[in-house]
Amino acid sequence: MIHAEGLTRRFGERIAVENLSLGIGAGEVFGFLGPNGAGKTTTVRMLAGLLAPTTGRALVAGVDVCAEPQRVRSVVGIVTEHPGLYEKLSAWHNLKFYADLYDVKSSETQIEKYLNLLGLWERRCEPVGTFSKGMKQKLAIARALLHEPHVLFLDEPTSGLDPESAKTVRNFIAQLASEKRTIFLCTHNLYEAEQLCSRIGLIKQRLIKVGSPQQLKRELYGRHIIIDLKEPISLSEDWQLPFVRDVQINGRRLLVQLDDPEVQNPVLVQRLVELGAQIQFVREQDRTLEEVYLDLIAQEKP
Amino acid sequence: MTLKRIQTVIIKEWREAFKGGKTVWIGTVAIPLILLGVSFFQLFHLSDIRAIPPEELVGTLFLVPFLYFLMFPMIIPHSMAIYAIMSEKEQKSLEPLLATPLRTGELLLAKTLASVIPALAITWVAFGLFLIVIQFVLPASVLEWAWQQFSTIWLMTLGLFAPLAATFMTLAAMAIATRVSDVRTAQLLSSFAMLPILMAAFFLIFQNLLEKPALLGGLCAALLVLDLVLLGLNVKLFGREEILTRWR
Repeated sequence: MIHAEGLTRRFGERIAVENLSLGIGAGEVFGFLGPNGAGKTTTVRMLAGLLAPTTGRALVAGVDVCAEPQRVRSVVGIVTEHPGLYEKLSAWHNLKFYADLYDVKSSETQIEKYLNLLGLWERRCEPVGTFSKGMKQKLAIARALLHEPHVLFLDEPTSGLDPESAKTVRNFIAQLASEKRTIFLCTHNLYEAEQLCSRIGLIKQRLIKVGSPQQLKRELYGRHIIIDLKEPISLSEDWQLPFVRDVQINGRRLLVQLDDPEVQNPVLVQRLVELGAQIQFVREQDRTLEEVYLDLIAQEKP
Repeated sequence: MTLKRIQTVIIKEWREAFKGGKTVWIGTVAIPLILLGVSFFQLFHLSDIRAIPPEELVGTLFLVPFLYFLMFPMIIPHSMAIYAIMSEKEQKSLEPLLATPLRTGELLLAKTLASVIPALAITWVAFGLFLIVIQFVLPASVLEWAWQQFSTIWLMTLGLFAPLAATFMTLAAMAIATRVSDVRTAQLLSSFAMLPILMAAFFLIFQNLLEKPALLGGLCAALLVLDLVLLGLNVKLFGREEILTRWR
């Protein structure tokens, strides 16, 4: 649904995005992470037909962003970092304005549908300036969906929202994903990225890494098994199994690095039991996406 | 370029501007109404109008209202044009707007028309009211004399000067508003842009403009050139990249 090849954007001497190549399938929720100024918003703007790339090309929903940017804009939806609503106008008039710009057929039905879905129908006649930040964000999402786009770009949709509003927005994004829409989600919220995204891309001008959260963790750290014992155990040199890559012993806890725990764990556990270990718990060490993010960004030279 | 999208933006501009508060109302409707009221007040308080020779009525009855009809097309679009840009900037609504199929040329045209149309409509309606009122107040001989003397200059003012002046003021105010970050600075700077044209108009009035349509024609020609220059500047300022990266 989104296919970018060598996408580069310069602003004068400054390179905002360099040689970005990326493929995102239909119905995928793709998380786009990176520090401030890493080029996330510029990438979204290029893919959504707002800014022309300096070099490279991209197809979004089958439309070339360089050749037909206006058509791209009519088939994608975008929720920008700021809701950017007209505060003096009512929720209804805000949506009606955008529905007319997108040339939405039966616009009133569409407006009613999304105001109801997002719980704003009762307040449709009130000026948006009286809305809370969460309500404005929901309205911005409704605005992006009026023309039923297959591809949706969300630029930090929960930024600055209270936990309850953020959860509502996240639930709605999950609902959209279940409708097989392709969602390109820029976020600083790593918990959100891990919860919602099937794959994640890390950018710092260049695309550093792409993969599912699990893949990224495994590639960076390998897989570690934590084994808690009832009593400390001393292991002789010859205990080791050929597939064990590393072992650290810390009191009653063993940290064992394996390549394929699903297959190797039973053998490992059996061996430890043979050596007299009394095993209480066995679990895989869970690295957070935050660790992955910070390590990958730190590895990338400025 | 589609008419529907342009019309949609114009309606939004009007809806928003007139909900925008006092500034737009005062600049667009209140000031012209007050100035027109002053003219009517003068008309109704002239004693023994029949005794005054028509030539002497020019200063009081025609010159001052005429000055207002030169000013209206410049004053009226001023606030609206600034509001059209500043409100988008303040509300950060430009990016979602540019993310729609709307073209930047359509946006520029719609925002220009949203200010020029009310300016022309109010100027023409005010002139219509002026004509209606003088029908009742002035004797037929004065009216006949006035029509013979001033019909060309009135038609030139309303048909040529007013659209050109309204377009000039709108484009100048919008260009300034794209480059400043607060409404007051935009208002101040665009008032400076208005001054040379108003001063030229005042100067021409004191040069017996009412009897010299060619002078007004010269001012209109100068305005046309200025409008074209400002249009070129605005086309550049309304570039998509320019709006997204430099309108702060």
